[in-house]
Amino acid sequence: MAGHSDSSSSEKKSGEAMTDVPTFSAENLQNNMKVIYYSRTFMSITGGVIAGIFGFTGFVGFIFYFLVMTITSIGLIAKAKFSVHSYFDSWNRIILDGLMGGLMSFVLFWTYPFFKLRTFISVT
Amino acid sequence: MGLGFMIGVFGVLILSHAAYSTIQYRGLLKIMEEEFSGPPMNVVLELLLGFFFCIWAALTVPGNFLSIHPESEENRLDYLKLMLFFIHTSLAERRHTLEKDSVGY
Repeated sequence: MAGHSDSSSSEKKSGEAMTDVPTFSAENLQNNMKVIYYSRTFMSITGGVIAGIFGFTGFVGFIFYFLVMTITSIGLIAKAKFSVHSYFDSWNRIILDGLMGGLMSFVLFWTYPFFKLRTFISVT
Repeated sequence: MGLGFMIGVFGVLILSHAAYSTIQYRGLLKIMEEEFSGPPMNVVLELLLGFFFCIWAALTVPGNFLSIHPESEENRLDYLKLMLFFIHTSLAERRHTLEKDSVGY
């Protein structure tokens, strides 16, 4: 009798292990990714403007960009109350996603507006 | 979201003022024939303030994170509705199977 119950409980455990697939709310995950994307894009633009004002050139500008993104990532992790797995399926989402896309916005606002503003103000 | 948006707008205005001040400063340096090594200290402080306002807006305006686990408290209602649907579907299938067996297909 005890042997029979042991085998049935072990069968149940192995059955549960086979069917135990983590389920996520895809809609909420997509919402969270959208929040990260908007935050990173805005901070990329802000970082570009600040880099332009400081007059950073070359490599220093890119170092500054990654510094701004690191601060943004820390802010996002704090917003997730340091329990990333409640809101995302992996750490890469909150640390790496949107990094390269933001770089293009950063370079655009690092170089173009400041140059245009100077031209405009020097003409007037 | 309203307060975060206003803080973001204020941050952008501060950065715009800092940009304008730096352009004027660079114009002055050109007249004095000096090299630009960086903006003046008051502009640096303005930039820091603008940066913090902007990062606050960037973290608050886009919205809150939502839990992805169906059994979490905020998703509880959706999770219960889903479970009810599965139970209902399972019972309907079982009834259909029993009816088929009793008819003798």
